[in-house]
Amino acid sequence: MRNDGRRARIMAAVTERDIPAGAGELIAELCRFAVNEMALSGCAFVLMSEREPGGMLAGAGRHASTVTRLQMELGEGPCLQAYSSGVPVFLPDLASETANRWPTFAAAALAAGVHAEFSLPLTVGAGGIGTLDLCRDKPGMLSEEHLADALVTADIARDAVLYQQYAPGGQSLADLLDTGGTDRIVIHQATGMIAAQLNDTTSNAFARLRAAAFVSGRPMYDIAQDVVERRVRFDE
Amino acid sequence: MSETGSGTAAQPGDSGQVLRRGREAALAQTFVRLADTLASDFDIVDFLHSLSADSVEILGAEAAGVMLADARGGLRLIASSDERMRLLELFELQGAQGPCLDAFSTGRPLQANAADSRTRWPDFAPRASDSGFQRMCAVPLRVRADVIGAMNLFRASDEPFTADEMDIAQAMAEMAAIGLIQERALRERSLLTEQLQAALNSRVIIEQAKGMLAEYLKITMGDAFQLLRNYARNHNRKLSDVARDVVDRKIPNAALTLRPGGQS
Repeated sequence: MRNDGRRARIMAAVTERDIPAGAGELIAELCRFAVNEMALSGCAFVLMSEREPGGMLAGAGRHASTVTRLQMELGEGPCLQAYSSGVPVFLPDLASETANRWPTFAAAALAAGVHAEFSLPLTVGAGGIGTLDLCRDKPGMLSEEHLADALVTADIARDAVLYQQYAPGGQSLADLLDTGGTDRIVIHQATGMIAAQLNDTTSNAFARLRAAAFVSGRPMYDIAQDVVERRVRFDE
Repeated sequence: MSETGSGTAAQPGDSGQVLRRGREAALAQTFVRLADTLASDFDIVDFLHSLSADSVEILGAEAAGVMLADARGGLRLIASSDERMRLLELFELQGAQGPCLDAFSTGRPLQANAADSRTRWPDFAPRASDSGFQRMCAVPLRVRADVIGAMNLFRASDEPFTADEMDIAQAMAEMAAIGLIQERALRERSLLTEQLQAALNSRVIIEQAKGMLAEYLKITMGDAFQLLRNYARNHNRKLSDVARDVVDRKIPNAALTLRPGGQS
């Protein structure tokens, strides 16, 4: 698939100097990459859950924490929407947004010098873990190329958090992340089956599937097929 | 390879007349149903599934599917006329190569037979022929100047799609595009992208829900899809909302058990 090349290029860029040891370091690198590559004034990785308010795990740029803080204080904004819906929210011009979806948030963000905000959900289907928030001090939509990079950057950051919990001992997180090709129907179906077998979330089931693939040295797609054809179970 | 319809005349004689009248009636019915759907709060995956199934019937094809542009790059399947895995994978392949990708990137309709497709799409063609398809066409999904995806039809026979049939396929694709895009999104590219990504995410959630039901109820993926659809219809809810509730375990499994006769 065409995304794989993009994913490999971004992975290469963030592991250029040295291989980040854990998810936190890797995500900080991803945020720096986004800020430099996409001319952002801030990029933040925000972890969220149904029970607790969100918190910034890593960020880069002078506006990194601005947007997150505002939304948590106000209890409204694009990142909360992106988190609950699983769909990205693009606000290329907050000045025109004052009359639209989030007027209070937009006014506060403008006052802090943020003119555009893009919130990308960290999810595989349903049940996300947070958002990657990108902001700019000038209005304007991300170019197609920047948008594609931003979405794939968010995918890698999401996988870093999800995979870390099931990473086999002694393995580098970067190795675990280095393969794309997860956007396959059979993988989503297998994810649902594993979630049912383990009585767990689909996010965790997805991560377990990836870890199993890594341990066995087989593509995730192959393991997913074994699951869907009921040759492999995860609760045994 | 011919770019649009080959211009072959419709079947001669009485049988052609009957066939055409049957098709016109089916087409009229489909448009009435589409208009009803569009007037209500409908689910996009469900809508495109019906549209694909109607296209198959009206155009004498074996299978049809709709693919959408992912903002990450490439095309992804959003809905198809049936849910057999082999067919789904044939669409998935076209994220990299195939008639859908070509119709999407050129913005033009096209058709191909088995020989054409071997030359044009060496990885895709053998898989299409293994699935029993000899003839295929693809038409772009357009919103104003933007091409947002493509619709694809497969025939088991090598019979070309006529110019009329290509026009009907394009009309079905226009319908799909209308269903996908809410009016407000036409004005802003950012909203258009949000809506396409929302549709693609719905599809992922539906696949996860199918997997959950297949596991809990020991049924096939195809039955799981039918069960989700029946439940959504019977409860007057959107397919993707029902799928999300299944994944979030807000619907008890007992409520989703298949009864004999295949109804939920």
